[in-house]
Amino acid sequence: MTTVTSGCVPFSDLTKNDRNDVPLKTCRAAKTPDMTGTKKEEPSLTEPKPGVPVATPLTSDEAQTLAQQSGLRQMGVRPPLRRYIRGIWGRRSFIWNLSSSRAYVRNQGSYLGQAWTVLRPILDAATMIIIFGFLFHGSAPGIENRAAFILIGSFSYSFFQGVVMAGVGSIPSDLQLIRSHQFPRAVVPLSAVLTETVLFGPILAAMVVLVIVTGFLPDMGGPVSPRWSWLLLPIAAMLLSLFSAGVALFFARLGARTPDIANIVPFFLSLGRFASGATFSIAGLTGHDSWFRPLLLYQPVQIFLELFRAVFGNEPLIPMSAGLWLLAILYAVGTFSIGFLFFWGAEETYGRD
Amino acid sequence: MTDEIDYEVDEENLPERVERQPLGEPSVIVDNVHITYRVFGARKGGTTQTKTPLLNRAISLGRPDTGPITEVRAVRGVSFVARHGESIGIVGTNGSGKSTLLRAIAGLLPPSKGRVFVSGEPALLGVNAALLPRLTGERNITIGGLALGLSLRQVRAHTPEVAEFAELGDFLFLPMSSYSSGMSSRLRFAISTMQTPDILMIDEALATGDASFRKKSTERIEQIRDHAGTVFFVSHSLASVRAMCTRVLWIDKGLLVADGDVDEVCDAYDAFVKGRSGASAGANLN
Repeated sequence: MTTVTSGCVPFSDLTKNDRNDVPLKTCRAAKTPDMTGTKKEEPSLTEPKPGVPVATPLTSDEAQTLAQQSGLRQMGVRPPLRRYIRGIWGRRSFIWNLSSSRAYVRNQGSYLGQAWTVLRPILDAATMIIIFGFLFHGSAPGIENRAAFILIGSFSYSFFQGVVMAGVGSIPSDLQLIRSHQFPRAVVPLSAVLTETVLFGPILAAMVVLVIVTGFLPDMGGPVSPRWSWLLLPIAAMLLSLFSAGVALFFARLGARTPDIANIVPFFLSLGRFASGATFSIAGLTGHDSWFRPLLLYQPVQIFLELFRAVFGNEPLIPMSAGLWLLAILYAVGTFSIGFLFFWGAEETYGRD
Repeated sequence: MTDEIDYEVDEENLPERVERQPLGEPSVIVDNVHITYRVFGARKGGTTQTKTPLLNRAISLGRPDTGPITEVRAVRGVSFVARHGESIGIVGTNGSGKSTLLRAIAGLLPPSKGRVFVSGEPALLGVNAALLPRLTGERNITIGGLALGLSLRQVRAHTPEVAEFAELGDFLFLPMSSYSSGMSSRLRFAISTMQTPDILMIDEALATGDASFRKKSTERIEQIRDHAGTVFFVSHSLASVRAMCTRVLWIDKGLLVADGDVDEVCDAYDAFVKGRSGASAGANLN
């Protein structure tokens, strides 16, 4: 019925072969069959009208040469680092607008609305204060104001935790966005981090107010007076945000194609809460000759918690020192660089699946 | 994976028959592109005939055909060269991989194998996933415009005309969750027309809204089309493909089956579709 000239693979044969990489050639023009007659079987695709022009596909090398000659660039290739960073900087309005909009809609729909951003950490901290501040007196030896100690630790660690969890799930939750627009993909986890950072602002303010309030609780070392060092709080918050962003970027790449990671990370974050002394004093509870004491005391999250407590400066046992700041800055910048580079390493794969 | 809207366009809303322009340099080269989706989810009596042992099913190692992951090969080895000045239509039955291929060319979906070379920045019209329903229309115009790559100043400058084009009226300052579906699709379309790209891709964006809006959107697309060098157009409506395109690619089950002049390929496709009796070909994974 149809004449098939050489070089053409009839469509029915294609369905058997298509799992292999049989080079496909479109069919040459064949005689037009009578389409108005009754058909007992489905018409195969070897019956196009005469004159359908054929284009044999170029081989890969020919395609490459043609592309080079015409000055075309290959799509989906990871851009060099400098161009990538410039691209992200160029998208800063987008990142900022996206983050602030998402922060705004976070708590819409509930009666208390934006107040929940602050109320939730307060409720978390309240539980911790009751248990570790009043019930377990020995959890922070040497610390006068245990309630403030726990409050600062709990709020700060929750911020770190929130940023990392936001980073892990950022790419899968924004897959539609990635598949609709071209932009450096680091924008997605960075905007998730920025959303959490924006939401931390009111929490920081609540932290300050509550620390003053704890001064009036019984057996907490007396009133807490504001100091000049409290002005350094936003800087400490920025450093913690930078550090958390590095961790978030690291996990964003891992969690991009493997949803299982989103189940493992909370386990490590819970462990980290204890290993960072958010609610009890590591310095006070670990023996001086235990091998893990320096490990826990100098690990980055514990350093940041100590930095926050030192900035508040109401504990003689936790002084603010230049060494502490230096260590915090090193951790923040170092972790962010490593996380960013790790994320950039797989830039061309995001959006797949 | 991709949203497809099927509408047949009324006769009077069809754009003018496109004029053939002299062809220039190659602007898009697609080289043996394969795209495979991974889909998580249990398959009851799926596509494999073998019975997997209970242990294998319990400990899923993510291998295709044995674990809870299915691989869907949406595009299997498509290659072609597009030149500056061409208007290329892509036709195919449901699930044939047209929209997936378009997104791969636009750089939005990385191919599993193969390469795509482009000369300018491609842009896909009619898509805007950056919008947040709980925000006002105006805020969403800002975010949508920034997502397209415009600067904040440009977005602010274009906002009034976008709002007017989408015919929102007072609803501009209400959250998008209060819009009717027609209003939100008009707004999405209006936002995506803020860009004037070099390589334009249109994915069934023509037929949303009532008759007057359809007329407006067709005119707007023609305006953008005149600025663009190469245009790709995916549609089920053969009438609009015949009107808008000079060359047509016919994709079936992820394979490029025909590639040629618009009238010839459209006639062949038309005949094929009318002669077919079964369900869409894209419904089979193998």
